[in-house]
Amino acid sequence: MTTFAEPTVSPSYAAGGTRKESKGRLFVKWATSTDHKTIGYMYLITSFSWFIIGGILALMLRSELTAPGLQFFSMEQYNQIFTMHGTIMLLMFATPLFVGFANVIMPLQIGAADVAFPRLNMFSYWMYLFGGLMAFAGFLSPGGAASFGWTAYAPLANSQYSPGIGGDLWIIGLALGGIGTILSGVNFITTIFTMRAPGMTMFRMSIFSWNVLLTSILVLLAFPPLAAAFLGLESDRLFGSHLFDPANGGAMLWQHLFWFFGHPEVYILALPFFGIATEILPVFSRKPVFGYKGLIAATIAISALSVSVWAHHMFASGQVLLPFFSFMTFLIGVPTGVKFFNWIGTMWRGALTFETPMLFILGFLITFLFGGLTGIILASPPMDFAVSASYFVVAHFHYVLFGTVVFAMFGGFYFWWPKFTGHMLNDRLGKVHFWTLFFGFHMTFLVQHWLGIKGFPRRYADYLPTDGFTWMNELSTVGSVLLALSMIPFFINIWISRNSPKVTVDDPWGYGASLEWATSCPPPRHNFLSMPRIRSERPAFDLHHPDIHTEKLH
Amino acid sequence: MRRTHSALKKMLALGTFACATFTMQSTSFASGGFSPDASSVNQTSHSLWIGAWIAAGVVGVFTAILILWPVFFHRKKNEEFPRQTQYNVPVEVAYTVIPFIIVAVLFFYTAKAESKITHVDKSPATHSIHVNAIQWSWQFTYDDAATKPTVTGTPDQAPTLVLPLGEKVRFTLTSNDVVHGFWIPEFMIQMQNLPGVENHLEFTANKLGVFPGRCNILCGRAHSQMLFKVKVVSPADYQAYINSVKVA
Repeated sequence: MTTFAEPTVSPSYAAGGTRKESKGRLFVKWATSTDHKTIGYMYLITSFSWFIIGGILALMLRSELTAPGLQFFSMEQYNQIFTMHGTIMLLMFATPLFVGFANVIMPLQIGAADVAFPRLNMFSYWMYLFGGLMAFAGFLSPGGAASFGWTAYAPLANSQYSPGIGGDLWIIGLALGGIGTILSGVNFITTIFTMRAPGMTMFRMSIFSWNVLLTSILVLLAFPPLAAAFLGLESDRLFGSHLFDPANGGAMLWQHLFWFFGHPEVYILALPFFGIATEILPVFSRKPVFGYKGLIAATIAISALSVSVWAHHMFASGQVLLPFFSFMTFLIGVPTGVKFFNWIGTMWRGALTFETPMLFILGFLITFLFGGLTGIILASPPMDFAVSASYFVVAHFHYVLFGTVVFAMFGGFYFWWPKFTGHMLNDRLGKVHFWTLFFGFHMTFLVQHWLGIKGFPRRYADYLPTDGFTWMNELSTVGSVLLALSMIPFFINIWISRNSPKVTVDDPWGYGASLEWATSCPPPRHNFLSMPRIRSERPAFDLHHPDIHTEKLH
Repeated sequence: MRRTHSALKKMLALGTFACATFTMQSTSFASGGFSPDASSVNQTSHSLWIGAWIAAGVVGVFTAILILWPVFFHRKKNEEFPRQTQYNVPVEVAYTVIPFIIVAVLFFYTAKAESKITHVDKSPATHSIHVNAIQWSWQFTYDDAATKPTVTGTPDQAPTLVLPLGEKVRFTLTSNDVVHGFWIPEFMIQMQNLPGVENHLEFTANKLGVFPGRCNILCGRAHSQMLFKVKVVSPADYQAYINSVKVA
């Protein structure tokens, strides 16, 4: 915690008095802050805490599946655990993690002093914090937490099939958190459109900030239908309305509404982290982003297509127009492929070095590549008839989401840690962290593809000894333990980084491109004491390496 | 000396075991984990499954090499800056157009296969089975027997769905309560049982034997016990079976 306290001792504050702040003062200052950086750190700390909690739930799931039979949990408890694992990882970890990174980094990258609505920003955070706690509090209720899966299919999620206050806490908690996310989206869009520094045209903006903009637009498209669906579901549960009554086609209505949110949500999670990858690769390749404008076009294409593919989650429902949604899903592979080649082109004939942030991004590329390829396979309905809702799909979306969110998150942490705290993280420990995480991850999830092909459905608490799933589950569980252990070097690293020497330069990596590398580590209260000239999409690089010529498009 | 000997023996035994396991697995690996002809669906989907994996493998290996190439060969060697290349229009056009062609080809085969699998004849089917899902088991009603016999399972006693070998069966899928998923992994086929909706599906089982079937849409507490068996028998045995099922 103390590592984050550093930014508050910024020059503007230091002028008012140098006395060391008590913990109580610090708490009040954080809890009442309107500084986008402080709020961003609060988002990052809170979402990372949920990542750890969600991870512990995952370990509980893995331990139960190690052997056939029920060893640790009842079936109902198991259902609660995977429901909360999914909910936490998607809505209480990954989504707010985007809000955290966007909050801290985006205003710096566009040269703004803060976000457009600083108080609304803090309000979003409280909505998120209490919404998340509310959903999780279901575990303390008599019937336990929600157990209908994070997808909450109707009519399973109604009061007849899932009675108990846990379900209500889940629905309303997530609706509140969702409103917080919507408000963050509004905030980011407004900030990007109205608060860019002089010279920061849209096509000089860093890719991360572009991705924050497009993600925020997707948030505005996807989260309101979700909030509406949640409120409708709660009205069914509480007031006996019939919105999602199967007699009125409610079962399909829910699937459509949920996935109309659910698929853009995947890109809400992916795009910001693609952005982080795109920030890190050029710095450690010592080259500009390859095909900058094409990359933006690809991201816009992905965002547009992402709202037209939702029904590929419902290929096996027998109720959707398969060729249309299949074609759209295949099509979204094209801009995603373009991104890959942009990343490769950035590294191509560069001068690569392999500090921890770069390692994590390479880990992301390899992992996401495989997740993307199984995604192309799943875009084909006949393949879904074979493996949908099986562990093949579980493996696929962990390759996509863990590969993107978690690898890029750690890349971003190691990359921006000096900007956050004024201290570097240890590179050697970072490499230990990376390799344990990488092997742990692949050991856990690679075998799950085969598990799915062999017929193991997702969300099963148990299987039979004769099913032949045992050795694969054992391997997967061992991998998950390794994956969990990889957090230890990271925590040690954070702890010892307090005592590492202060970063005295603006850009400790030496080749930073975007504006956050043109201000101190950590930045002052209003971010910049002086603004460099912005004449390209690499203002900080131009400032620090004025003699280097960038080859432009003519 | 004796210790090395026993260690060698152990290693040999382990090696033999590993080889045996591998050969057992490899037949399954070679066919991509699925039978090419266990059902009419496999006959359509299996080649697509293999083809899609070959395409994915080629693209994947090619891209992975492109990622790893600069990692090994374009490392920083001195303080000199590399050329600051930012655009290369022909390359950019190529890597947009080529993936488009790849997915267009995949979509062509997908659309063909998919319309074949989801096709349901207008004329009445010879065999028709009603699959009703209930929390947490299955109810199979054989509509082609005059008495329309029904078999109902329980979570503890998985029911058996008997199918005639080589003869097309039309399935009507419904649900009594929540959404369920009717999945027969061996036959590469699944479809949701939706409350308030009737789903239809037709396929032919082409392989004698007993295969597992599982509900794969979360349906509440005992979801993981919502299992059934699929038993494929000769048409004569099938007739004998449906006539022998007692009407409840």
